[in-house]
Amino acid sequence: MESRRCYPWRMDRDEVVHVLRAFEEVGLEYVLIGAAAMGIHGVVRATEDLDLFIRATADNVERLKSAFRLVYDNDPNIDEISADDLLGDYPAVRYYPPSGDLYFDVVTRLGETASYESVDSMVKEVDGIEVCLATPQALYELKRGTVRPLDHRDAEALRQEFGLEDD
Amino acid sequence: MPVEKFRSIEEMNAAPIRSGRDGGFDRFIRHCARFWKLAPRRYPRGVVRFRSYEDAQATPANSRED
Repeated sequence: MESRRCYPWRMDRDEVVHVLRAFEEVGLEYVLIGAAAMGIHGVVRATEDLDLFIRATADNVERLKSAFRLVYDNDPNIDEISADDLLGDYPAVRYYPPSGDLYFDVVTRLGETASYESVDSMVKEVDGIEVCLATPQALYELKRGTVRPLDHRDAEALRQEFGLEDD
Repeated sequence: MPVEKFRSIEEMNAAPIRSGRDGGFDRFIRHCARFWKLAPRRYPRGVVRFRSYEDAQATPANSRED
């Protein structure tokens, strides 16, 4: 395929696939949100990161760390990801892996309402991996309520693509 | 249909994008690859904590160009 010859695969396809596979292998309870989820739904724009909700339990945070360790060769920085933080005062953690090509925004709750449990999700298969991602409607709801112009553009793209309406 | 004609840019912008047989994921990854080609950058290593997702999104990634 022409594009594969022309471009180095940053964001590296294999890296993303390895991460998603590791999530599946360790049984991480997560929901992909953001541009990656939009992309899997076919609404494509570039992004620098992968955003995900995870279920806010200590066990699940350990699964997240196990998955990252599998992919990133036991990067010692992963030890800094803490259940105390994610279940406490720091519900959002950004992890920069050693590859240097992308980063992860991991979230346990968004404002007072949105969380792993509250976001409508679905499963789609990517490279034989079952990927859990927010539904188009859920992505639309998440994005239309923010202050970022980028999110408003995303919301409009989702609305047009899927004929969505406000709940 | 390798070429599509439009009578206005509005009509062109409203037209659905015709994609290949591969799914959204591969198109997403290729699109990101083009983005990276145009604006290469590298991130540091490590973990950063935020008190909210909004704070995280408002904080630019600490990147540098290659």
